[in-house]
Amino acid sequence: MLSADQFAGAPLFTGGAFLPSQSIDSSISPTKSQIRTPNTLIPMTAKQIIEAYHSSEDKPAIIVDGIELANVKLVGLVMNMMERDTEVSFTLDDGTGRIDFRRWANESSDTGDTAFIQNGIYVKVHGHLRGFQGKRHALAFSVQLLTDFNDIVLHFLECIHIHLGHIRVKVLPFFEGDTARMQMNINIGQSFSNGREYLAPFPNQFLAHSTMDGSGKDVYSLVLKMFQEPAMLASEHGLHVDELFRRLGLPKNQIMEAINYLVDVGHIYSTVDEYHFKSANNC
Amino acid sequence: MDTSSPAVFVNAELLKMHVGKRVRTVLQVARNEGGVMIGQSTDGQQLTVKGGDPKGFPLSHYVEVIGIADGNQSIRAEICTDFGERFDAVSYNGLCQLANGKYKNLFL
Repeated sequence: MLSADQFAGAPLFTGGAFLPSQSIDSSISPTKSQIRTPNTLIPMTAKQIIEAYHSSEDKPAIIVDGIELANVKLVGLVMNMMERDTEVSFTLDDGTGRIDFRRWANESSDTGDTAFIQNGIYVKVHGHLRGFQGKRHALAFSVQLLTDFNDIVLHFLECIHIHLGHIRVKVLPFFEGDTARMQMNINIGQSFSNGREYLAPFPNQFLAHSTMDGSGKDVYSLVLKMFQEPAMLASEHGLHVDELFRRLGLPKNQIMEAINYLVDVGHIYSTVDEYHFKSANNC
Repeated sequence: MDTSSPAVFVNAELLKMHVGKRVRTVLQVARNEGGVMIGQSTDGQQLTVKGGDPKGFPLSHYVEVIGIADGNQSIRAEICTDFGERFDAVSYNGLCQLANGKYKNLFL
């Protein structure tokens, strides 16, 4: 099975440590005029790196999915290995492309570390991307022999995961009373096993849901509208969820999800018990 | 044989869409017959691998084969790697579908 110690139980996109934009401490890198070296290690496919090189030729930094790259992690086969006095160089072929790596051997202990590198073996490489001007190569500061081949699958799944984290969508704020569908800048969703598509929630951003009944009305709009009715606004206890289920006729889990979301963003709140809710806005 | 081109992640089903191209897949060895390896793909179908190690690989081990797809169910191997006995075929199968579907742009 995939080694799940880093991802077990963590819902996608809310895990902080592995999304590079959350790991950069803005308090120590305040001004744009200072040169900031990103201190993240990002799993990538060779293809992503090669494409990034092509599109960043005249720019000072290599950008992938809007994120500046510095250190990358790759998994692949060693090819064209060459050993010299002070360095070992090889090409890493991960099935999506090839990247040339060099590893400096500064101390005698380093040569021991690289002794196992041979053509045709699977390794995991942590490297630093270098230089343009037509040459693309990378420095490998860690090369590890792969012993559990499930790591190959894990690595590529991590590449997909990180990629999705980088291109996550910002949607416009949800306006009360607006029965139109929420506008989205880019529609990127993720399918779950039950076939539904939606974006996972994360701080300061809003959920986007696809409509389930195809009529063009969002579940959230419908639920919020119920709470906005004058009779509900006037009622001290607000609306009971059973009443909501009965009136909307939509699946209960969808309605509960909509309620939970509206509570999270502050449009409604629970009153006498966990089944009664009221709109937080009284106009 | 162009050995520098990327290899597509495939299972038996996806192999059919990439005949003639460089592919990579994992199969569980069922039998070795004089240089031809026959095994089960991660989606439960039979695959044949030609040109691999003449000694063959241990039965029931998972073997990754990188090579050219030369038929609906067969691959001409360039590189074979023994992945051992403990390999998650279900996850690999899922990766094949993701790498050929929604996230194809990261791989090919």
